[in-house]
This record gives sequence, structure tokens and C-alpha cells, in this order.
Amino acid sequence: MIDSNNLDFKKLGFHAGLEVHHQIKSKRKLFCNCPTILEEDPENMEYSFYRYFRPVLGEMGDFDPGMLVEFEKGYKVIYLANERNTCTYEMDETPPFFPDMEAIEKGYILSEYFHCTSFAEEIVVNRKQYLDGSITTGFQRTFISARDGWVPVNGKKVRITNLHVEEDAARRVNWEDTSNRTVYFNLDRLGLPLTEIITEYTDVDTPEELIETAKQIGRVLRISKIGRRGLGTARQDVNISITGGDRVEIKGVQDLDLFDLMCRNEVVRQYTLIEIKDEMLKRGITKDALEHTYVDISHLFESEVKHFAVICPKMKGLFGLEVQPNKDFGLEIFEKSMLITGVPRENHYHSDENEEGAIRKNSDFSSNLEINDQLYQKICSILNPKENDAFIVVRGSEKQAMHALKKVIERIKIALDGVPQETRRFIRDGNSEFLRVIHGKDRIYPDTDTPPVVISLDKIEEITRNIGKRPWDVFEELNSKYGFSQNKVDLLIRDEQLDLFYKFTEELNLNAHLSYKLLIEIYRENKRKGITLDEEDFERIAELLAQESIITEQLHQVVSIIAKNKKITKQEIIEQLNIKKFSDEELENIVKQKINLIGDEKLQSPEDEQRYLPKIVALVLKECNYSIKGQTVVNLVNSFRKEVI
Amino acid sequence: MVEGEIIYDPEGYRGSLRERLIRDKIRTWSKVSVKKGEAYYEGLLLPRSQNTDDDYITLKVDTGYNLGILVDEETQVQEIGYQKGHYQLPHVEVKFKEELPNVTLLGTGGTVASRLDYRTGAVLPAFTPEELFSAVPELISTVNLTPKTLYQILSENFRPEYWVKTAEAIAKEIESGANGIIIGHGTDTMCVTGCALSYFLRNLPVPVVLVGSQRSSDRPSSDGPRNILYAAQLAGYENFAEVVISMHGTPSDSYNLVHRATRCRKMHSARRDTFKSLSDIPLGKIDDSGTTWFKDDIRPRSNPEDFYLDAKIDSRVGMLYFYPGMNPDLLESMVDLGYHGVVVIGTGLAHVGTDVYPALERCQEEEIPVVMVVEPLYGFAQLRVYETGRDMLARGVIEGENMLPSAAYTKLIWALGHTRNLDEVRDIMLTPIAGEITNRESPRGFMIMQGIEPGIDQILKNL
Repeated sequence: MIDSNNLDFKKLGFHAGLEVHHQIKSKRKLFCNCPTILEEDPENMEYSFYRYFRPVLGEMGDFDPGMLVEFEKGYKVIYLANERNTCTYEMDETPPFFPDMEAIEKGYILSEYFHCTSFAEEIVVNRKQYLDGSITTGFQRTFISARDGWVPVNGKKVRITNLHVEEDAARRVNWEDTSNRTVYFNLDRLGLPLTEIITEYTDVDTPEELIETAKQIGRVLRISKIGRRGLGTARQDVNISITGGDRVEIKGVQDLDLFDLMCRNEVVRQYTLIEIKDEMLKRGITKDALEHTYVDISHLFESEVKHFAVICPKMKGLFGLEVQPNKDFGLEIFEKSMLITGVPRENHYHSDENEEGAIRKNSDFSSNLEINDQLYQKICSILNPKENDAFIVVRGSEKQAMHALKKVIERIKIALDGVPQETRRFIRDGNSEFLRVIHGKDRIYPDTDTPPVVISLDKIEEITRNIGKRPWDVFEELNSKYGFSQNKVDLLIRDEQLDLFYKFTEELNLNAHLSYKLLIEIYRENKRKGITLDEEDFERIAELLAQESIITEQLHQVVSIIAKNKKITKQEIIEQLNIKKFSDEELENIVKQKINLIGDEKLQSPEDEQRYLPKIVALVLKECNYSIKGQTVVNLVNSFRKEVI
Repeated sequence: MVEGEIIYDPEGYRGSLRERLIRDKIRTWSKVSVKKGEAYYEGLLLPRSQNTDDDYITLKVDTGYNLGILVDEETQVQEIGYQKGHYQLPHVEVKFKEELPNVTLLGTGGTVASRLDYRTGAVLPAFTPEELFSAVPELISTVNLTPKTLYQILSENFRPEYWVKTAEAIAKEIESGANGIIIGHGTDTMCVTGCALSYFLRNLPVPVVLVGSQRSSDRPSSDGPRNILYAAQLAGYENFAEVVISMHGTPSDSYNLVHRATRCRKMHSARRDTFKSLSDIPLGKIDDSGTTWFKDDIRPRSNPEDFYLDAKIDSRVGMLYFYPGMNPDLLESMVDLGYHGVVVIGTGLAHVGTDVYPALERCQEEEIPVVMVVEPLYGFAQLRVYETGRDMLARGVIEGENMLPSAAYTKLIWALGHTRNLDEVRDIMLTPIAGEITNRESPRGFMIMQGIEPGIDQILKNL
């Protein structure tokens, strides 16, 4: 395996695109009047029902290949639902209601933030097929808001190809056993308005750019106050490809910190699959040579369950190759077979596992067929493999095992094409697992239940006219004016304090750093203590600061006064602060007294002084009930010490 | 069409935009580029659906999404290619199997045996057998199914003469040896057709199963495939010979109920389990483990030689829904217009206001039968309980027992097809023929849950 920590992404032709899914804040769901409340426990339910799904033709008269594979999985889908957030619409028992205009308008506003040039002037609702059960109708209702936008990323433009507004899918409950043919969903999330933002994958060449792209998009969702907040409100799918590979979509990456690892592991996987393809071609393996001839070897096992084997000519050594950390090519194949047929991957075995130090043996999903040397030889005597042949064994009912072997052989054939286009599921360790064949455009067709909604360009103009500043412009501005770091700007955006920040700095002429300290640091410190400051609190404090009625040193006291009585007036705050006045002489004495408290022996050098300075200042401030500025104390201390020296 | 000749017909487009598309030789299904200010689009120009705004084009873009663009003076539209979609299910080879029962599927336009064209709202040609099997492959191993198309109409467009034609088609299939019949039907008036067929098909020897879908077949969640599979099993294998409706029994894909058509009514505008048996329980239910029968008065299969068709009708029958404040001139004008019979849906036990009495008297004089059924749907018409009811009886109305409105309406059409003699009509109307009148009613016949009953939560958790 190539070293995942040492990859030259540009040389490998790495490209990556994003599909950011983010829930839109709204009062109701997109196509019905249910409120947007989620269950705390997704297994919570007041009623349940179940369904099966079938693929339907796309508008151009083709079945989407991805949909046929989905149907092959044969899922029974059980839905859990609750009265307060689910109606007959989510049950697919009643047609959609008129779409939520609030969500439609927010789609346009987001599009404007992303500099989109092509707006949809008529909302045409489309159906996007999903047969995994995540949507009761079997399709997601979705529409384009706009196309052709961009976000700035490290000095270049990463294009936004499409911005959609759509209904969110139901929440999967219990992901544990992917071989199970029964799947569970809670309907609470189904129908929540969601925006899908898609970036042009050729514009991103490194994982760093990918992360920055995701951050820029996230900033827009926050700064516009359109994105819903909280756990699970945002999900990213990442498309990754390298030269010679193909587009692979990895779903459900929630944590940006894991992007880098995920990119590396996927690059390694594609690189290895290409190597395997080259090696197969070198060995002269053809698709026709891989035959669907399954041999019943059940008698070799002391078990009621059937065991079938298949020979894979000239494949020896290839199944054992590591494609991702701790996962060999064989396991990669078995994951796909498992997901489609329901035969657990542990019930699959490949002959390379018999080799010394085989990767599969130490993987999380080693085979449970317990084929020792002796059994291995017996299998060989039946199958009669040639020197360079490999074989695969599957355990299961006759029907299931044959189905699994069919999928295994099909997957090996595809290996001759290199990297298959597929959708994979992100696993916590940074690897990914097969989820489904990539869904194409044939799964999209118009929704006859919702007539097109005409929105004129004038109306769009009106909706998008007063959007706020874009996050990258805010950074430019605050960075050049005040030297703010991106991190600081991000905090202002994330905590939705930017409006107040501008108000304080521009209208009240409050110092920018002080405004930041108040809105972010003081806010967060107090939040940890259980005190939440609201907009009105901030405004009162900021006004006091701006009028120089209070000084920074008194902020903590002011906050605790407000926390005790939210309705307190500014005048009362000042009264309660009990501000003391000190003559110069009084103050000097206090300072001297505190220096002496530390003692001369501890203050031998300027370094000592610097170390003890904060302590001295804190002591003095406390004695003075924070009625004087820290800087005054610092100046006094410094002048006294100079005298001493 | 001569080879090489191109017809420029921008399907569905109207007005000046249509003229412009024709002038610029831009066809639907062609690949076009659209330039509008800074915006640029490329995609397939799709036909436009009716009743939508005139000035927009619908474009299918590279991602498969459709979107609408307003075409104004400054918008440049150019054809850059052509790709017409071919909307057809892949064909499946089907061989006749000796050991399987023979079932005929007669399509009338319901969404099981055909699909709706979502652009124009029209019903596209019914499936060929191969297409049907391609959509529901399990059918192949269930029965030898022969699909035939009778009509391609929405069920609200049915007319009494269509019931007759349907019955004639069924008779023909029975005479050709079909072991069972399935009627694919739109769900809206499925019960009405079912009632009519129940009277027309005398000594019915095989099952006739009406089936449809509440979610059309262009949806992955459609109830159609399971409905038709169960219908095929019922029609092919079960020992009963009645006209029934079999559709989902719950919102789950768990079991279908078998309703006697004359006792059945659509009770929800959209749900899968919309069909209910009223004033009685369903005949049975069917799921993956087989059929369970609940009633013991089910007519078994019988000798086809005893079967005959009796589809004489008189469709000059009207139905009036009485409501407080109804002007009696409605009934008067039905007499004036020459109606031969009227079904009146009366309040409670089947009453009408006293100001309708003169109109009832006129009907009596002109020998026009007036059949009273009940607005509550459940229970019997009983005009002997109150003075006013007896006043109505004195004016010659016929108490429709516990016939559902559609059962009474179709029966009156059938009765008048045989005789205009009032006494004879009364006799026919009051003689139970196909379960449309039950002479007794069990408490189970009125199981309407209100959602608050103890134990209902548990039922809802396990539907």
C-alpha cells in the first residue's frame, strides 16, 4: 500500500467536490404543515408501519442502474412515527401541500450569497428516487434554486454548480447490522427543508482546499442565519477521484477534522484498485474468464448451512492486497456483496487468507468460516485450482449464497475497469464501505403532484436585494481594519454576533477588540457558568462602555448584576457597582502595599516583575472594587519598580 | 412521415412562445442552449404541461433536474442537438405455464394497468403483458395472466354503458375458460362499477377482483404492484365467485382486505387503506401467508354453464343528496327532465324536509320510483319510526334498506332496465341480490375508531 501520509495530491490528479446538505430554519416542513421538531430519542414512536419499494422509469425511459441494485437489496422498511411531527404526508398517504415559501425564498437568498448567476424563475419540483426506504414516497421532492455560483478558496474561485432546496430524508435508526434486510427509520426529520449545495469537483485539488470550501459554505449558512443549528443539521457528501480512478461519493462525513484522513484513505484505495486492474490486465485476466460456476462444498463443513465456492482464475495474491488501512481487496468485495444480498461479510472467505500474515485475519471483519490448512487442501482437491488461481467461499442458504457469489464475481469483473463509481458510507476510522451503486440522472423525473411555481426575476431581485455582507468580505474588512484573524471572525459568525459587533463598532464607536471581548469571550465564559446574555444585555453593557460609565475591568461585575436582574436599568447598574474614587496618593499606597505583599526577594529581575505583574494588578483591582483601569495600575507598578532599580 | 422530414411541433407550448419556437425551428426533446443576461443554461427542451404559465420553457439540465426559464425578448434560445426519450418498460418474455390458473386482467384506465402521463395528465396506453410483467415480475410465476385493454379513462369518466361493456368483456373471458378476472380500475368510482357488475353477472362462476392503486405506478412506493399480485392470487386460486374489491388494509404493505363490492366504499381521498366495508365486515384478507376468510356466506365457484349476463339498464336515473335548505325544485326538475328514477340520500333514517313532499307526490303520480338511502352511510333506512317517515312512505318512496348510495343507484339503473312498473321495481330493489342489502347487522359492522380508544396505541404501533 502506498504511504497515505506521503501523497502528492496534485501529481495523483486528486479532485474533490462537495455536496453540502444543511437544514433550513423554518416554521414548517417543506411540503406539509408539520412543525420542525425532532424527537430526542430517534427510537421514540407512537405508531409504526412498513413498506417495500420498487424502481420506476426515469423520464427518458430508462431504469437508473443504481435503482435496480437498490431493489435487489430487498429491504423491508419499518417506519417509526410520532403524532406531533408526522402527518399523513410523511406517511405517503396524502399528496403534498403547497411548498413552504419561506424555504423557497431562503434558497434564493443563499444563491445570492454564493454569487449565483442563473436563478430558477419557475420552481419545478422534481422527484429523485431513493429506494433505501429513507423517504416514504420512494423519491425526494427537490428543486433547483439557482446555478453557477462560487466561493473564494485560498485565492481562487471554487464553483458552486447547483443550489437545491429539497425535503430532508427520514432518520435511519439502528445502523449496526448492515446485512439485515429490515431497516428502520424515524419520520420526524422527513420533510424538513434542506438546501443542497454542490461544488465543481475539478476546482479542488487538495484536501486543504476541500476543507476551506466546506468552511466557506458553512460560514454562509451561519452568517445568513438560514442554516438550522444543532447536531445533525448539516451533512456533507464528498466526491473524490484521482487520475485513472473515478468519481466515488462518500456520504455522511460530519466532522471537517476527518476530511483529510478520509481523502487520504480514499486516494490510497483508488490508487490500489488501479494497481490491481493493471496487474489483472498484465496477467491476462478477462471478464469472460471469470465464470459464474458455483461449486457446492457444503459436505466439507460440519454445518447445516450451505457452502459454495467459486474459482477466480489467475487472481492469487490480489484479494489479499490492502486497499485501505486494515482492509484487503477481498473484504472490499465482500462488503458490497453483503450490502446487496444480506450475507454477512464474515460469511465470505478468499483463498489469500490462508497466507502468512494475511491482512483479513486482523481486520474488524475476519472470516468466520474457520478454514484451516487441512480444510484448505480439501477445498483445493475439489476445486482443483491452478498455481495462480484464487477461490472464494460463501456460507448461507442456497439462494443467498448463490446470490452473494453472483455479486462477488460481478464485482471482480468490474475490477478490470479500475475504480467503480459508487456511493460509500464513511466509517469512523476514516475508511469507507460500499453503500450503493452511484445514482444517476435517470432517477430524476418531474413531480406531477406539485404544479410549477412561477417566481419572476423581479421577485427574486426583491428577495435577494438586502442580503448582508458575505463572510469572505467580512473577513477582508475586519482583518484589514482591526487585524482580526479568520478564527476570530469565524467565532463572530458562528455565534451570530456579527450584527451586534457592527452596531457596537460603527454606531457606538466602541473599540473593536473590546466589542469582540464582550460578544465572544465574556459571552462564552458566562455561558459556561450557566448565564446566557441576550441582545438587550449586550446593548446595555456596550452603551455603558461606550459612554465610559464603566470600564472593562468592571465587565464581570456588570454581568453578574444583570444576571441577577434582567430588567435592571443602566443607572441602577452603575449604582450597584459601588464605584469608588481614589486620590493619586491613595492609589499609590495600595499599589505599594501589594508589591510589598509579594516581597522584594521575589522581584529580583525585570522577568520576575513581568511574571508577578498580573497578580499585583489583580490584587489592586480587587481592593479598589475594579473601579480603576488595569493600565493605570500597570503604569504605577512599572514606575515604582524603576525607582527601586 | 417522410424520412428526413422534421416536424416542428413544440408540444404543450402556447401563444407567442410557441410561434417563436416554430419560427426558430426548435423542437421539444432537442438539446438547447439558453442565454439570458449573465445566465447560461444547457439542457433538453421538454414538452410543457397544460395549465402552466405560457412564457416559460421547461429544461432538463445535465443533472437530470427540470427547471423553468422565462423566455423574454432578450433571451436567446438555440437548438444544439436532439435526443428523444423512449418511455417504455423493458420487455420480458412470458411463457404459458400449464400448471398455473388463467387469469384475465381487463384494464379500464386505472393506474395499475397503465400509467399517467405526468406532463399532460393523460393516461398512456396500458401495459403490454410484457411491460406489466417487467414492472411486477412476481406475476409470471403466480398465474398465466392475459392483460387486455378495455378503456383508458379516468374512473370519474365512467358511464353506465361502460359497466355493460365491461360485464360483456368479463362474460367473454369466462366463456373462454378464464379461472378468474381482474379489473384494473381507477379507485374513485371502483365501488360503483363493482356494484353494477355484481347485478349484471348472474350465477357468477369465478372471482372478479377490482383493483387499483392509491399511489400511481410511477412512484416507487406504489401500492399497485402488491395489489395486483394479491388480486392475481385471489382470482387464480381462491374458492369464491363474487365481485370484490381488494386493496390495502392498512398503511403498511402488510395485507389486503377483500371487500364485497356492494358493501364497499372509498372513505379517504388519498390513503392506501381507503376502502372499507360498511355495515358489515370484509369477506377476508390476504397476505404473504395466504388468504383468511371471515364470513361464511361467501358464494363459492360454480359451474360456468349456469352463468349468464343480465346487463339490461336504463341510465335515466339520478341521485340527489338531500341537505337542509334544499330547494324541492331540484327534484321537480328531475321529473321535468324525464328521469325514470331517483335515489335520494336522506338525513338520518332517510328523511327529507316536509317541503319536498309535493315533489315526492309528483314522482308518485308520474310513477317515478324514489329510493331512499341514508346519509349516515351506516345502518338502515327506516321510515316507520317517525311520523314524517310514514308521511314519506304514504307518498310512495321505497325504503332502500341498508344499500349504500352507489349500490342503490346502480341497482335502480339495472331494475329500470327490466321494468318501469313501480311495484316490480320495488320488488327488485328490496330483494337482496349480491349482498347490497343485509337482513341483519352485527355490531362489528360499525367499527369506526376515533383514535382515543384504550389499546389503540398498541394497534397503531403494529399496523
